[in-house]
Amino acid sequence: MHFEIQYNPAHSLATAHLNVGESVRAEASAMVSLSNNIDVATNTGPAGRGGFFKKARRGFFGGESFFQNTYRARGPGASVSLAPQLCGSMVVHELGQGPSLLIQASSYVAAPDSVDVDTKFQGFRGFLSGESLFFLRASGHGPVLLNAFGAIETIALNGELIVDTGHVVAFTEGIEYSIDKAGGGWIQSFLSGEGFVLRLRGRGTLYIQTRNPSEFGRTVGVMLPARSS
Amino acid sequence: MEHYIEHGPAFAWLRVKLRPGVELQGEAGAMVRMDPQVVMTTHLNAPQNAGFFYKIWALLVAFMRKVLGGETMFVNRFTSGSAGEIVLAPTLSGHIIHHQLTAGRRLFVQTGSYLASAGAINTQVRLGGLRTLFGGEGLVLLECSGEGDLWVNSYGGVVPIEVNGSFIVDTGHIVAFDGALDFKVKSVGGIKSFFFSGEGLVCEFRGRGTIYVQSRNLKALVSWLSPLLPS
Amino acid sequence: MKYDILDSPDFAFLQLTLNQGEQCVAESGALVASDSQIEVRTSMRGGLLGAAKRKLLGGESLFQNTFTSHGSGQRLFLASSAEGDMRAQTLQAGQEFFLTSGAYVAHLGNDLVIDTKFGGVKGFFSGVGVFMLRIVGPGTVFYASYGALHPVSVGSEGYTVDTGHIVGFESGVSYRVRPFNGFKGLFFSGEGLVADFSGHGTVYVQTRNASSLVSFLHPFRRVKSNN
Repeated sequence: MHFEIQYNPAHSLATAHLNVGESVRAEASAMVSLSNNIDVATNTGPAGRGGFFKKARRGFFGGESFFQNTYRARGPGASVSLAPQLCGSMVVHELGQGPSLLIQASSYVAAPDSVDVDTKFQGFRGFLSGESLFFLRASGHGPVLLNAFGAIETIALNGELIVDTGHVVAFTEGIEYSIDKAGGGWIQSFLSGEGFVLRLRGRGTLYIQTRNPSEFGRTVGVMLPARSS
Repeated sequence: MEHYIEHGPAFAWLRVKLRPGVELQGEAGAMVRMDPQVVMTTHLNAPQNAGFFYKIWALLVAFMRKVLGGETMFVNRFTSGSAGEIVLAPTLSGHIIHHQLTAGRRLFVQTGSYLASAGAINTQVRLGGLRTLFGGEGLVLLECSGEGDLWVNSYGGVVPIEVNGSFIVDTGHIVAFDGALDFKVKSVGGIKSFFFSGEGLVCEFRGRGTIYVQSRNLKALVSWLSPLLPS
Repeated sequence: MKYDILDSPDFAFLQLTLNQGEQCVAESGALVASDSQIEVRTSMRGGLLGAAKRKLLGGESLFQNTFTSHGSGQRLFLASSAEGDMRAQTLQAGQEFFLTSGAYVAHLGNDLVIDTKFGGVKGFFSGVGVFMLRIVGPGTVFYASYGALHPVSVGSEGYTVDTGHIVGFESGVSYRVRPFNGFKGLFFSGEGLVADFSGHGTVYVQTRNASSLVSFLHPFRRVKSNN
């Protein structure tokens, strides 16, 4: 199977073209359309492959549960089209001989069965900002479909870089990372609006998005009518 | 200042190459990535040469704007002891445009559109129109003058419109405009408030000059989504 | 008169240039800017009686604006609230085009018919407040998408689309709405409905949907304080 991506960078649509018998697992809310020769199976409950249940928590999947559907082609010329929640781009990272990929949880969209997505969390919860940062680990071989809020910049890292946590999409395992405050002290981190940053060191591939979903959520969220729960 | 506007016009970000001795000022929260040798300091959003009482006034205005509109009170200043790179990005989708300010030319920028600046630029807060500070509406503008670089962002695309006569724009769609234009904020109330995608506040411009209009509006986004929200 | 769709497909922005006496009708809320010799007149859709009789579904506007130019080269700028594209569809006399109500922006041509009482789509978007418009030419209709506009040619093999992603379709295409037999996320991530299209014609799909944006933003809303 392969992913075809159209309408980058603003309104990307990814179509998975499947050969007979092939399947792709995708985040449940990402489905746009599909051809009539596809069987859809749901991954049941927390024990399901790659699925788990979570409460509506800010900054983590933006309130969506991480349910996945498996789409299997029953006939020739089968396709399923996928799109993320927010405007922006999508990119395919090929897993194979190289290292595994650590993916910021809300940036993962879909992958075939030959890719194993480990929901072991590298979790971190922001102290003052309430931001959360969780990583998934994708290993195996095959294409992994990632989404970004905004455009995607692919960086061949060889050295050290400081990146605002909300802008991290994914990076290859082997790159050392640590969470740090953006400014000199706690107060400055809060006032500067930057919150936390990821210090990345080493060699590998790094994907960054040009917009920050949590910042967008906070800016618009405060203008929306209040909710009762 | 050496800079690159990349990934525009849909999701532009600003990449600046800092050299020793120069300083970039950016809206709080805009930093995306930076080289480890870049130093960030945080300051109250007031001109550097402002007096004590202006600072108090600026603090009050900034506090009210934060409470009412979620705008930030602080700016970050970035310097680097050796050559280093920093990338800044706005919150919303859209583009970034660069203005080279020169002596004698003023530019009015809607405060939400300010992204970054460098050089000897003076910014003064101007409140346009009625019900401004306390209604959470109205036009809050930064009058920019001096010499240096100024970067503004748009929500959506940005279209420069040449005015020669009289022109009306919904206030939520104003990014920036030439200081030479006369402007008046009007409240288009009653049934006419349905005309515009905002709340019926428009700005009437007269004279000759350029207005930078953005094609999307945060209040229109909120109006569109509000009926779809679960309680 | 001329029109130009700027910044397509990212943030489409419609610029119309109208000369003396020329007119355009638009959805209220679409106006961004205009030269001052454009007169704006607001009226109720279908007349006062029609508007009062029609059930108000959430998100619908009762009003429409008619813009008339009283000068030459008067510019009018219109935009949709959503980030996305816009298209102009020019219809011949009697030619039909079906559009979801939220996608309509404006139209040209006094003979264009916008039929809002087209009831053939009950259950299409159950209760979310979006309904179908049946548009009949002659005239030009401007419509917008949230996300990019992705045309799909439907043929004998059929095609299935999530209802939140449908913008419009040509006549010649028929469909059946049913629940989707997979997960669609939590309750407010769409209705969980899909439309199975068949026949021959083009279906216009948008690459983003409002329900997903709403479910993303929901946790960022302030919580009502219990008094």
